[in-house]
Amino acid sequence: MSDNENYWRHGDCRNHGDHGDHGDNGETKTMNDTGRLCRALAVCLHSGADPERLGHELARLAAGARLWVDDIPGGADTSLAAVRRERELSRPVDPRTGPGMRAVLLRYTDGTAELVVVAHQAVAAEPYDLARALLGEPVDLSAWPGGPAAERDERLRAALARLDRHPAPEWGLGDPGDPTVGQRRLTLRAHGDVPAAVTLRAALGLVLARCTGRLEVELGVDAEHEVAFSAAPAQTVAEYLEQVGRARPAPGGTPAVGLVVAPAAEMIGGTGAKAEPFEVRPFLAPLHPLSLHLTDDGSTELSGSCAYRRAAFGDAAVEWFTGMLATAHRALVTAAPDTPVGELPLFDEEQRLALARLGGLGRPLDVPAERIEQAVRRRAERSPHRPAVTCEGEGLTYRQLDQRADRFAAGLRSRGVRPGDRVGVCLERSLDLVVVLLAVLKAGAAYVPMDPAYPAERLAYTAEDAEVPLVVTDTDAFPKLDGVCLVGPAALDGPHPQPSPDGTAHRPSPQDAAYLIYTSGSTGRPKGVVVPHRNVAALLAATEGDFGLGEEDVWTLFHSSAFDFSVWEIWGCLTTGGKLVVVPYWAAREPAELAALLDRERVTVLNQTPSAFAQLAQLDRASRITDSLRLVVLGGEPLDTRPLRFWLDRHSERDCRLVNMFGITETTVHVTAQIVTRGAALTGSRSVGRPLPGWHVYVLDPDGRPLPPGVPGEIHVGGAGVAGQYLNRPELTARRFLPDPHAPGPMYRSGDRGRLLPDGRLEHLGRLDNQVKLRGFRIELDEIRAQLLDAPSVTAAAVVLRREGGDTAGARLDAYVVLRADGSDGSRADAAQEVRQHAARFLPAHMVPSTVTALPALPLTPNGKVDTARLPAPLRGPSGSAEEPAGDDIESRLRAVWEEVFGFRIGLDDDFFALGGNSLLGVRLLAALKAAGLPGFPLPQLYLHRTVRQLAPLLAEEEVPA
Amino acid sequence: MSALLTTPPPGGATSAPLAGKAALITGAARGIGRACALAYARAGADLLLTDIGHDLDGVPYPLGSTGQLAHTAQLCRELSAASVVVTAEADVRDLDAVRAVVDGALDRFGRIDVLLNNAGIAAPSGKTVHDITPDEWELMLDVDVSGAWRMIRAVGAAMTEQRAGSVINVASTAGLVGYRHFAGYVTAKHALVGLTKSAALDFAPFGVRVNALCPGSVRDDDAAEGRMLSEIARSLDVPVAEHEETFVAAQPMNRLIEPEDVAGAAVWLGSDASRQVTGSTVTVDGGFTSR
Repeated sequence: MSDNENYWRHGDCRNHGDHGDHGDNGETKTMNDTGRLCRALAVCLHSGADPERLGHELARLAAGARLWVDDIPGGADTSLAAVRRERELSRPVDPRTGPGMRAVLLRYTDGTAELVVVAHQAVAAEPYDLARALLGEPVDLSAWPGGPAAERDERLRAALARLDRHPAPEWGLGDPGDPTVGQRRLTLRAHGDVPAAVTLRAALGLVLARCTGRLEVELGVDAEHEVAFSAAPAQTVAEYLEQVGRARPAPGGTPAVGLVVAPAAEMIGGTGAKAEPFEVRPFLAPLHPLSLHLTDDGSTELSGSCAYRRAAFGDAAVEWFTGMLATAHRALVTAAPDTPVGELPLFDEEQRLALARLGGLGRPLDVPAERIEQAVRRRAERSPHRPAVTCEGEGLTYRQLDQRADRFAAGLRSRGVRPGDRVGVCLERSLDLVVVLLAVLKAGAAYVPMDPAYPAERLAYTAEDAEVPLVVTDTDAFPKLDGVCLVGPAALDGPHPQPSPDGTAHRPSPQDAAYLIYTSGSTGRPKGVVVPHRNVAALLAATEGDFGLGEEDVWTLFHSSAFDFSVWEIWGCLTTGGKLVVVPYWAAREPAELAALLDRERVTVLNQTPSAFAQLAQLDRASRITDSLRLVVLGGEPLDTRPLRFWLDRHSERDCRLVNMFGITETTVHVTAQIVTRGAALTGSRSVGRPLPGWHVYVLDPDGRPLPPGVPGEIHVGGAGVAGQYLNRPELTARRFLPDPHAPGPMYRSGDRGRLLPDGRLEHLGRLDNQVKLRGFRIELDEIRAQLLDAPSVTAAAVVLRREGGDTAGARLDAYVVLRADGSDGSRADAAQEVRQHAARFLPAHMVPSTVTALPALPLTPNGKVDTARLPAPLRGPSGSAEEPAGDDIESRLRAVWEEVFGFRIGLDDDFFALGGNSLLGVRLLAALKAAGLPGFPLPQLYLHRTVRQLAPLLAEEEVPA
Repeated sequence: MSALLTTPPPGGATSAPLAGKAALITGAARGIGRACALAYARAGADLLLTDIGHDLDGVPYPLGSTGQLAHTAQLCRELSAASVVVTAEADVRDLDAVRAVVDGALDRFGRIDVLLNNAGIAAPSGKTVHDITPDEWELMLDVDVSGAWRMIRAVGAAMTEQRAGSVINVASTAGLVGYRHFAGYVTAKHALVGLTKSAALDFAPFGVRVNALCPGSVRDDDAAEGRMLSEIARSLDVPVAEHEETFVAAQPMNRLIEPEDVAGAAVWLGSDASRQVTGSTVTVDGGFTSR
């Protein structure tokens, strides 16, 4: 190195580039581990800027260290000076390649001089001490760390490596591939007698507790130490501050956030020198994923910055985070000492409103003041001869539908149905069903749909709870109930004497209930959700334009009328002029039949639960099922997008839009919509999109307080779709339908877990009640399910927590998977074991399912959702060993062979084909019988003797020697 | 994050695409090295400029001098007051000298964002392949290939730890095609392209990029004090003017390359605007190698 190269002076003081004012000049910085362990200090030299003396002192203090002298062509207050100063303050020093410290004398044309000192932690205790020593103040050098710097450097780097091994918090919304560092300036107001070091720590603790959902807060203070304290909401502000002030740094921990509060450095006055420190940097790159640094100079302002690794924290998340910190700190220092900590706000009014807007608040929706049957009537008047409903070859035009429903409505009225009443409807999907539902509305009543497949007790419960005077049904199985009149649809047709108008008759309005659908939560009795006409009108107003719904569309009525997906299917179609194709019961149960129907009827709009659609998509993989679909709406269940990529390979996003809609009966079918792209399917996006116009969402913590984007909490829904009440359940209504803080009307507390993203989309993270506790661990079943679906061979998956004999010690996770049919001969049990091993590679041990059972298909409820109650018990226990057959009689032995072939527990009366058996499995069964020393039988016999109980006598006959 | 939300490459459109970056440029005393140093200063970079500072036995023309290096540094400071510019002399054949230069850059700047391996010699040349002496052969490879490797070796630890960095190896069209009577130079530059590709693969997991820059015939610019073309002409024993004409005729763009043309590409390769460019050979040859 030539020695005098950086001594230079010239007249040209042009300043190039558009540099910012305070050093934050837009220069992209990447992560630098050395910089994390370096500290920097800038001092203004009032006197003593003598390079020769400084250089001499430096050489005395550290072998090999040299003083750099830069003459800046400008004054100390120019933007050029700021750029140069900032660059010097940002340059790390590495004890492995040099002395581990650097001193730069900056001399300005206005005569001022500054000294920037950077020192690595392994070398010097503080740049401040170093500066003092350089400027001739007596400094106790023995206070500096002793021993070889290399060892300390190694120890510090090991501490960094330990910090870095800890995964970035999910709520930070970082981009793992981004190596750059972000920075935000921060100014907080100091107030009161408590030291800022304590109030800042305490405020940060409140924010962290909200973001992590944990009251125990850990906060980094340096590379090796952290402080821990509790942000429990019940303690008072005084108690909390006292507790935080008491917390002492301890080694260990892997905090995601660190905080350094530096006192203002004192004047330096050595022999012949006078200097004033004005900039202190406790680290040059964020020590923790997010590192805050503030200076308390005794004034009313605490200023500093927040530096963060973009791999762990996104810019938007940090903006919210620092905003919360400012609000929390202000609240904390101004609150009365006896205020409970839980009452301190973390968001001010403006931030709350911004959060609500992010969740979709404030987008106007023009909803026609029209009842459903009026909208259908409008269609009938405009296009009387267009087809409205078809079912297995029969059909009705809009005029026919309207007129027939008018007649049925008259039939209802003649049986005493009056506006405002509720009418039960228990019919299979059919033309009659659609006509009856419309007729109930025309009669001014609300329909209470009941699925004929439901058990009699459930039907009776629904009819009684809804207080229906009349049920339209054609099934003999409907229970006879006192005060409930049963009538077949046919009886409603034909001329009816009109009852004389009642003077007090209720005049039907869009505010009236249109339907009452019963939902069963995980606990308690099913409850009736009362949904008014205007909600349905709002749903259509919110979607009609975006989905381009119109007369050319052909919809299916696939779902049970007792499932509110059917509300969308029926009224979405009939109020926009489309043709509704009723899918008969048998076609809805058989994917191949449905596929054929879709193609035959040229269906354009299909609505499915993800579980049902997965079966259809699997068929489509073998051969394309149809080219008529232009819109597939997935709803009713959380969607895992990954299996959809095969569908998207075949059906381009241009031809067929795939939309994932998150919705709840209580919010009128849908809340949000997310177009599923191939890219989203590949990355396994959990976004359910933005709320529909008119709908908005809040994500709140268990105490109903707002959470920032990125932090998961309970989804609350407000706006045009909120039903408002459960029938005759005021207490439950009050618990679930809460006042909307930002809009008139109630918001619904959904019980779903989710989080907002900074762009306003919602991520759905499963049901809150899907969070189970197993051996003390809080486990998210949906997370395990997602991991199983990640295995390449798995197309569908379900996970349940089982407690054998109600014993918590015997509790275990049982997983069920549907494997891709790839023609391999390997046994299903082996393949299931492989899936388990796959999961074990990615999940913590307590989340790995004890058993993984391969099923030909997951059992579905009548609504098309996975029916966890019907999942069979696994064949293998947690030990992995097959249990011994219960006995050695032929029935037991035969059952053991069946279980071996199927891979799960079966009952004596389980139907071979209903279990997913086919001729291939039949051949395997014969081979397994032979291997077990049991006689065989002609394969067609299996169609006649489909259960173990039926088949055993046949084998017993064969076993007797002739 | 969706693709729509990712940020565009930083620095692409700013007037100071290298602001805050520290660059080490070898062979910076004159010619392409000086042009690159000036362009880097204009782009806002802090600079450590090196050159050999003395002549070499066996190279038939004078090499970059201490005075020329100091002049380059001074020109850089005049161009950019925001840049810190320091110089050091080093022979890229000397492993310890190379190490000292890199440690010096780290001492001053704390990091090295760009290594511009520009040092190289074009002669001894002008002989049929079997007439080249072992000393001539080894000298050429030692400077033009091994010199670049020594520099890469010395910055490797710092750059990989930074998880960022850009190495630019100034090769030549001679790294892509053959030239008569230049077997040593062509071999060395081809090897440099090979080194580029392998180093790019080694460093890719660390976010460090390595690219080769292949200039065609660069005019001997007075301001840059370049003399490459003259030396090549002399090696071939033809008048410079005639040699220039021959080269212009061979250039599809019908003119010689200016040192600034090469420097422009070097700024781009050093900046984040080229953040996904690695292992590539960027030609600045007026279309010469596309024929």
